[in-house]
This record gives sequence, C-alpha cells and structure tokens, in this order.
Amino acid sequence: MLWKLAWRNLWRNRTRTALTSLVIAIGLLAMVFTDTMFVGMNTNMVKNATNSMLGHAQMHAKGFRDEQDVKLTLNDLDQALANLDSHPHLAARSLRVITHAMLSSSGGVEPVLSLGVDPQQEQFLSKFDEAIVDGDYLNFVSGQNLILGWKLSEKLELRPGDRLVLTAVDAESGEMAQELFRLSGIFKTGEGQMDSSMVLVPRQTLQQILKLEGKVHQIAMRFSQLTHDGVPVLPLSGQYQSSGNEVMLWTELMPSLYMMTQMTDISMAILGIILFLIISLGITNTLLMGLYERLFEFGVIKSIGTTPWQTARLIVYEAICLGLFSVVVGLALSVAGTALFAHYGIDYIGIEISGITIQEKIYPELEWSRLALYPFLSIGFTIIASVYPAFKLWNMLPIEALRKRKL
Amino acid sequence: MTETVIAAKNLTRTFGEGETEIHALKNVDLEIKRGDFAAIVGPSGSGKTTLLNILCGLDTLSSGDVQVSGNSLRQMNGSQLSRFRREHIGLVFQAYNLIPVLTVLENIEYVMLLQKVAAAERKERVRNFLVKVGLEGKENRFPAELSGGQQQRVAIARAMVSHPDIILADEPTANLDSETGGQLLDMMKQFNHELNMTFIFSTHDPHIMERAKRLVTLSDGKIVSDESRN
Repeated sequence: MLWKLAWRNLWRNRTRTALTSLVIAIGLLAMVFTDTMFVGMNTNMVKNATNSMLGHAQMHAKGFRDEQDVKLTLNDLDQALANLDSHPHLAARSLRVITHAMLSSSGGVEPVLSLGVDPQQEQFLSKFDEAIVDGDYLNFVSGQNLILGWKLSEKLELRPGDRLVLTAVDAESGEMAQELFRLSGIFKTGEGQMDSSMVLVPRQTLQQILKLEGKVHQIAMRFSQLTHDGVPVLPLSGQYQSSGNEVMLWTELMPSLYMMTQMTDISMAILGIILFLIISLGITNTLLMGLYERLFEFGVIKSIGTTPWQTARLIVYEAICLGLFSVVVGLALSVAGTALFAHYGIDYIGIEISGITIQEKIYPELEWSRLALYPFLSIGFTIIASVYPAFKLWNMLPIEALRKRKL
Repeated sequence: MTETVIAAKNLTRTFGEGETEIHALKNVDLEIKRGDFAAIVGPSGSGKTTLLNILCGLDTLSSGDVQVSGNSLRQMNGSQLSRFRREHIGLVFQAYNLIPVLTVLENIEYVMLLQKVAAAERKERVRNFLVKVGLEGKENRFPAELSGGQQQRVAIARAMVSHPDIILADEPTANLDSETGGQLLDMMKQFNHELNMTFIFSTHDPHIMERAKRLVTLSDGKIVSDESRN
C-alpha cells in the first residue's frame, strides 16, 4: 500500500514531477554521454597512437630507448623472433633499424630520424603507405628509395624523384657514412614530429650504411586480442624479455597517453559527484515542497496508525519511484543520444591531445557496465536526497502536522 | 459492570509560557464506558478538540494521565502511540481527511493493511462496512468524486473497520448541512446500538447534541457538566 500511495502521490503534481524527472534524466544522459565520449576518445587516441608507428608493444635491447645508441641492437635476434612468433595473439611484427642522421638536398640540410623498414612488414604496423600524398610508398626491403614527411619535404624543397643524401654514423667504426637516395614519396600522417623529421628507408640499405647487416634495433608488434585498456590479453614477460632484450607495451612507451586514459575514470567520478549533488539538491527541494503541501495529510496518515518509520519510508518510496521513472526516461535518452552520435561520429579531426593527433571521427562507445552503474547511482543519489525530508517527517508529531491546515 | 474504555485523570494542557500561557484544559477528569455515545460540547475555545487530541494520544499532557483500555498513553513514544491508535482508536476528522490518491476501498482498508489483516478478511470487512454506510458500488471512486456526506461516511467506515475500542470524532458534522449531519449521527448511533461501539464526538450543534446519550460540557478548559440521557 505504501508503494501504491508513493507512486500515486508522485503524480499529484504532474508538471513538477515531470520537470524533476527530466532534470534527473538529463543528468543521467549527461553522465552516460560524457562517459561514452571519453571512452570513444580514448579508443580513438590509443588506436591512432598504436596504428601510427608505435604498435601495441616494442622490443629493444635494454638501454636503447634511453641512449639511442646505434650499437645497441637486439640480442639473439633469431631466438627473439622465434619466441615472439610463438605468441598466439601476435598479428604482425616489423623489424626496424633506427638512427639519427642528416638529410641533405639542394634545398638544405635537416636532422632526421631515419627508420629502416621492410615496406611489406611495416604496412601492418603503421599507416605510412596510406599516408602517401605525393609519389609512391617504398617497394622493397633494399634499394635507394626513401619516403619522408611533407613538412620535411617543404623545408628541403623536395619533390618525388629528387635526389638527396643521408649521412649517418656507422656502428662499427663510428665513421660518417653517406648514401645517395631518390625521393619516392611524401607522407602526411598528421603527427607533427613524424611529418617534419622522419624518413623511411629500406631496412637492408640502412643496415649496410650503419654496418649492421642482420641486426635490428626494434621489433614493433601488433596483437589480435587486446584487453579493455588496449594491451595484449596474454602477457609478454618471461621468455620474451630474455637475452638482454626488453619488451615494452604502448602504455610504457607513451605513459602520458596511458595516464590520460586512466584519468578519465577520475574525471568522470568528479563530474558525476558534482552533477548528482546538484540533482540531489533539486530532488530534496521537490520532495520538501511536496511534503509541506501535504503536511496535514501526513498528519492524518500518522494519526490513523502509520508509524513515523512507515511515514518516512513513504517519502523514500516516492523518491525511489521518482528515481526509477527518471532512470527509464534517462536511459532511453542516453541510448538514443549515444546511438545517434555513435552512428554519425563527432568530428575532432586534426586536434592534437597528449601528442596524438585525432585522425578519425570520435564515435561514442557505450559500455554496458557503465550503463548499469549510472542509473544505479541516479537512484542512489535520489534516495540520499530523500533522507532529509523523510527524517523531517519522521520527527514531526502528528498534531503539529494537523495544525498546519489552520495556518 | 460496564468496562471502562477511557480513564482520564487530572488532565491539564497548557500552551505558551509566562504571560502568554493559556490553560486549554484544567484538571479534567473523565471516564468513558464501553458503549457510551458521548458528546463533548461547549463554545469555541472551550477545549473540546484539545481534550479529544489528548484522549487519542495525538497531543501531549502538561500533567495528568489518560488510560485507554488499561494502557497509559503517557508512557508511550511516537511509534508506540501510532501502533496503539491503529489497534484501539478510530478517528474521524471534521474535514473528512481521506487520502485523496486512494479509492474508497483503499481508504477503508488502509488501517487493516497496516495491521496486516489477511486479504480475504479485509475484503469481507470492507464489503460489510460499505453496505453499512450505504456506499456499496462506490468502492472504486476517489474521494474527490464523492459528496461531503459520502466522504464522511467513508471516514467513519475507515475508523470502524479495524474494530477499535473507541471512535473519537472531532466535530464530524461541522462541514455538512444539518440534514446530512443528522443522518450521519443517526448512522453512528445505530452502530453504537447494534455493535456496542463506543463513540465520543465533539459538537456545538444543538440538533446533534440531542442525539447523544451523554453530554459532557466544557467551558474554559473545565468540565462544567456531565449528564447522561435516555
């Protein structure tokens, strides 16, 4: 009976209840939509980062990442490759030779980071092949062609087909070594650093220049099965780390990006607390208004035998009914709103966050666990909001309430 | 020997303090026997409503004690008083005071639901009382769809259906025309006669007073006369 009474009481002032419900529903929509946006943005950024060149993980000789010493090549490469290939979720790998070099043309000289790659392997790790805006991608693992970023090509005044010289220090003697290349293509990744200072050359050619035949500095990897955070489901420890090599996940390679994705939860929690507190105060106000309007009636209810505890519960039940109704409306709005934007996407293309340029539309992603959590929180905060009015009613003597009509 | 339902001794109720102190009741002694049909009468401000509120434990005493069916109300806290009223006292208010969002049937069975009376018995009792108060066929109407007299009949049914020891009614006919008020009192008197149910009601309507078997007159918070009539 108390539930029935609560539900019917709720609809005595339809406009007020509808408006309060709408406030709760919009609050829920705001939480769900912001959350799905954050998830979508994180997914987008992690995808951009891992697709651009990073991969999901990389293997180096210990110390290479800090020192960038050309002599620090991977130890026992054959064994390392054999171990890696035994990982059931390995989808692709690319062996890279990396060195800092000088690139000179008739237009000038620029410091660059040169990457010696196998063009076929690299296609599965990065998107340089898709980013070519002028000329062609590399064709072979050897040869005298190279590709570079559009900003660098502008600095060096280069066009596809132009000749240029790469100068680097060989690993064996420390002497300067030079090689003449022909510009095959110009890429535009959207990443400032890559477009302005990176060149890709055939791996075997760079190995010859650096006198590192059969050796590489890095193996970049992609995996077919990832966790929610975008890391491989199966760990990459133990055998993969042996022989003085180390494997690092993208979370370690780009800690700022990883931290940003992790901070999403904290941001959402803070946002949620503020939002729900504002909503709770609104609900408390609504319930108090309803309580004062019906004070005499509550006096009657108490007079005919309803205990203070049952009367207080009546207010809490009203809040629960209000919360449940609002959540149904809020969920409908949230699912519809998210589905709409998940279909069309939100265009933030070109904006750079944490060193990552957004290259695709952001599509909000609905996580069912969150979709269950936020309604639960909405109802929880609604119940909390009803505690004060309920306590006030619980504490009020029936005679005080009955006298209110005469005021 | 007739059983005493209410034994009120030395009831004093004071409002305010110091210069603004008002004595609503002064050393009132009252005994109500089972089957009484008593009217509390007196001019406005004589203390009729205060006395009824104290007899049912809605208002607190400054001094004295009230025993209803042998239970001292003074010793009870808010929850205990609520439960006690639920089991032993039926209340009828001047302005009907039905719960507007509940139907006639739901209003009448409300107290029985709190008492956890079984559904079948609830329905049987509600049906009986609807017939008794002449509202059969109107059980699914809401209070707003009934006349004042009909609402007060529902209020009486609500007060009686839980089989309390006593019904207290504060000016139950004040909002009704004299004919409807007379009919209502006749109905209450009929229940008093047939079911031996105890009624105490306040009034200042001389036509209503005529129907009472006992007339307790209050003036300035004191009982100035208490006469039984046949």
